[in-house]
Parts: sequence; C-alpha cells; structure tokens
Amino acid sequence: MSGRLPTQTYHEIDEERIDFEYLRNKLKLKQLEAKKSLSEKYPHVEKFFLEKGIELGKIREHSANVLGAGALTGALLLSPPMGAKSLPPPHEIIEKIKIAQAAQITPPQEILVATLTDHLPEKTRPLSRDEEKYLERVFNEIMGVPARATLEGEHLNTTYGIIGAEQHLRRYPGDTIGSHKPYLKEGMAPGLGAWGYFAKSKTELTFDLEEKEKWYAVVQTLYLPDWSRRQPHLKNWYKYRKVMIVNSKNGNAIIAAISDSGPAAWTGKHFGGSPEVMEYLGGPKYKKGPVIVFFVDDPENKVPLGPVEYNKVSLAGIPIERI
Amino acid sequence: MSKLYYDHLIVLDEVEAVIKRTAKTQEEKEELWKVVDETLHHRVMGKVLDKLPREHHEEFLDKFHASPHDENLLTYLQEKIGENVEELIRQEIGNLAYELLQDLKKKK
Repeated sequence: MSGRLPTQTYHEIDEERIDFEYLRNKLKLKQLEAKKSLSEKYPHVEKFFLEKGIELGKIREHSANVLGAGALTGALLLSPPMGAKSLPPPHEIIEKIKIAQAAQITPPQEILVATLTDHLPEKTRPLSRDEEKYLERVFNEIMGVPARATLEGEHLNTTYGIIGAEQHLRRYPGDTIGSHKPYLKEGMAPGLGAWGYFAKSKTELTFDLEEKEKWYAVVQTLYLPDWSRRQPHLKNWYKYRKVMIVNSKNGNAIIAAISDSGPAAWTGKHFGGSPEVMEYLGGPKYKKGPVIVFFVDDPENKVPLGPVEYNKVSLAGIPIERI
Repeated sequence: MSKLYYDHLIVLDEVEAVIKRTAKTQEEKEELWKVVDETLHHRVMGKVLDKLPREHHEEFLDKFHASPHDENLLTYLQEKIGENVEELIRQEIGNLAYELLQDLKKKK
C-alpha cells in the first residue's frame, strides 16, 4: 500500500490477518503482566485501591463517577473549569449578527467562528451547563437548528471534544466499497457498526438508511456511566439519534446519525465521523479536530441529515432574502 | 464523562488500527479496548511510582483517587519528581505500544 510511514508497523501485522482470539490472548497476557508487576513492586498501591473499593484497571469508571457527582452537586463549578472564558449574553451575539447582516458585511458563519474562538477554551473539555445553554441558544439563533446538549435527560460524556475520521460502514450483507462513491480511499470498516447492518439486504436499503450511513457519527456510548445498567433503553435511544456536529475552527456544521460506538478513550478522540461528514467539516485532508456535538431535538423528523448551510438559513428576525 | 490526567499523552494509533482490523463485532472491539486501557493504567502508575519518592506515594494516591481527571496532578508530580513527567508518561506509553506490536508480529 502506498503512503505508509516507516513507523506504521501494524501493516505487517495486518498482512498476516491475526484473529481475534490470538489478539485477545496477547493483549490479556500483557495486561496480566502489567498488573502483576505493579502489585509485586508496590503492594501498597493494590492495598490502597482495595480499601477504596475500586480497581486501578477500572479507573475510568471511577473518574466518571467522581465527575458525575461533581457536576450534580455543582462542586466542579465552584471554581471555573480550566480554560473557562466569560460568556456574553447570547442576545448580544444575535444583535451583532443582525447588524452585520443588515449592513451585508459579515456572513453568520464568520460571526459564529469568532464567537466560538472567543468563548470556547483552546483545549477541548466537557463544557459547563451554562456554556452548553449558551451554545444551544447561539446555534438555534444563527443556524435555526434546535440543538440540545441534554435531550430527554440524556447527555454525552462530553459535548466538546476531538473528532476523528472513520471508514464506511457496511450497510447490508455483501456491501462493497465500490458502492460508497466518491469517497473510496477511506475504505470499509472490517466490522459492523454498533447497531449491525443498516438493512437486511440491498433491496431493503431505503434512501433514509443510505443517508444514515452516509452522514454517520460515532459517539462513546460505551463510556456512559449508566450504559450497562440502562439497557436496552439506551441502545435504542442512541440508535440513529440525530446530532449536530460543529467544527469549532471553521463553523462548518452537519447533521449526522449516530451509527457506531467509539472511539476508545485512549485514542485521544471523543467522536468519529463518516468520510462524508469529515469531508464537509474540514475538507479532504481533515482527519481530526475539535468539534461540538449536540443532539438535535427533532421529534417530527423534520431536520434532514447532511450539511447545515446556515449562511442561507433565515435568522431570527431577518428575512431570508437579506442573508 | 470520564477523563484521566494523562489522557492527552496517550498515542496508540497503531494498536487501535490492529484492533479495528481484527474485531468483527462491537463487543469484540470494546473488549479489546478495555484490556488495552487497563494495561495502560497499570503501566503509567508503575512508571510514576518508580520516579516518585516513596514518602509521597500515599499523598499522590489520595490525590489521584480524589480527582483522577485533574491535570494539576502532572504539576504535582513534576514538583516532586523534578523531571519532565509528561515526557516520562509519553515514553512509557510508547514502550507499551512498541511491545504490543512486537508481540503481535511474533506470531509466525
């Protein structure tokens, strides 16, 4: 394959097509080795975690509980979150947009980017409820999309994180990369999405399902603190749930359907996007970047999947012909 | 949410690529992700404690337990260890990635 870096040794592994059992055994062995080594060298660490009733290996769950409890009690908000910036009232932004539009100076997207640059922290992190509320209002006013950080009581682990490029998903048994034109170089994911095939066969693949794969998003449902406890409700709730993804650097926004779970926490990414989603968010070379991801409150299924071309959308109080 | 103070130092893209190419179902993928995650926490903790003077171990463990997400832990470690802690953790994660990939290449 062309374009490999010398450091990309995993291609050699791939060529041998290792199987799942083999990989699992190797990884498990390494895990046991690491655990044993730590416990032999530092028995007081094992004792410490045992007394606290947690396992070091499950520290992410503990972190989720600590942060969850902090958010509930407001403890985390006593001191401003890292990188917190002061938020002007949303109506000030809307006024700015109206003035700019009336004078035909600045398109809404530019104003949105300036707003995000001014008021979001440089490094991604979970946003406070106030910050999320603020963005909901701004998105609604500027783009006309009813986006919500919390919808029907559900909230992602983070709404401001890093998105990474994903491959195409198989829509039905026998689906091939050739039917995913024009984005072929990204390839097809070897496994299925978290909800399996989109359709049982090619003939059952509707336009709606085609669109769901084309504009799909990946979110970390597996790390939701109550994911295992609230099944099958959560799995059904998240299946094809519409989200709006906003590239915080350029303001490009897209409506996508959640169709897979991931990425792993240790990848440094929090979301994933289909080749089409990534292309629209950042262009052909865009592989990774900061985004805001909110649910779309669309009970009547009126918001179509795909790009949000809000420079053409009517702003509150501004006739469409003036935009 | 779930966050650890060293999340931003983790680079395991190649391991991720192997898992993605091998796991056929979501369950398989998630199982392997968790195994790697657990290994990582033990290795990072081991490396940190190797460098941290023994008299500070309990204090660090208390702080880590109270706020595993808090990046100020890096500042704390930096002060007590006196070395570039971020680089130490990065190196340890790099070593783990290398070892895992070498192990997998030894198949035949």
